[in-house]
Amino acid sequence: MRDDPIVIALVGRASAGEQAAWDEIVERFAPLVWSICRRFRLSEADAHDVAQNVWLRLVEYLPSLREPAALPGWLATTTRRECLRVQRISWQQEKQLGQPEIDLPADEESTQVDRWVIAHERDSALRRAFADLGQRCRQLLAMLMRDPPEPYAKISSDLGIPVGSIGPSRARCLQQLRGSPFVAALAEGTTGRGERRDRRVVGR
Amino acid sequence: MTDAWLDDDDALLGALKVALADDVPASFVEMGKASFTWRDIDAELAALTYDSAYDLLAGSATRADPAAARNLTFEARDLSIELEIVGDVLHGQLVPPQAGQVEIRRADGTSSATSANDVGYFTITPPTCRFRLHCRTTADVVVQTDWITL
Repeated sequence: MRDDPIVIALVGRASAGEQAAWDEIVERFAPLVWSICRRFRLSEADAHDVAQNVWLRLVEYLPSLREPAALPGWLATTTRRECLRVQRISWQQEKQLGQPEIDLPADEESTQVDRWVIAHERDSALRRAFADLGQRCRQLLAMLMRDPPEPYAKISSDLGIPVGSIGPSRARCLQQLRGSPFVAALAEGTTGRGERRDRRVVGR
Repeated sequence: MTDAWLDDDDALLGALKVALADDVPASFVEMGKASFTWRDIDAELAALTYDSAYDLLAGSATRADPAAARNLTFEARDLSIELEIVGDVLHGQLVPPQAGQVEIRRADGTSSATSANDVGYFTITPPTCRFRLHCRTTADVVVQTDWITL
């Protein structure tokens, strides 16, 4: 996953000036940038400001990105620092003096960034795997994920399946999700994660 | 292979719910794509070397007077660009003084242009969004500033 050949190719093409490749990079990683802005509880306007700065910097950084596999880590680290900057400015404007300094030591920062990148990879893989499921499975799982939960009787009447088969269908659909190549690639990536960690956040 | 979220049905459904919940606004993605518009590998980067706003932050200047000017200096090897923003006018000066074309490139992908006169002076209306200046002098020196937010 980390050495995803598709990402490596996209970085190469975008560095050469291809807008379509850049667009795909943005589509792939906007959820990562967005999720970090959300963790910092930024307003939508601040999140846009942060992301714009991150993307503009990436445009200039791309040609010197020696190892495309390091891209997610670079994006997460840069977004995190931009979020801290924006947060500091809004505190200054609100004159909230004496706010605790919340920046972390470098090793904790990289652990945090690692966790975010891994969460992003998991979310992306699950979204893709879900999109690949058959319509019946997508409908069933969507209903099972509703908040508050739908009664089985309602799921049964909406989807036209017996209440008694909801449980087994749920298990079967989730098994299909597990079997998706996207999720399988992710599971493979978890082995040897430790040794890859230090390669990921470069170019600070 | 031992991730709990993957092995347990309830945990997997929970992880899927999280993955599908946080929808990224379309405008957020579009803005990211527009950032590529001003990719320019030919222009030399003029880096920010002075910003009067830093003096204020550092406390070495007196409290900001709303009418006070903001001064910025960007330097490249062969050309510097000095900016002074007073109210609704941005005054620009190319150093050493020389004529040239100045393009205001906005982060949203739009742009406009003006000319620096024979002594390198130009004025523009300061953009409200993030922007950079791209200058081509008559001697064909091509320089662009860092991104600027006023």
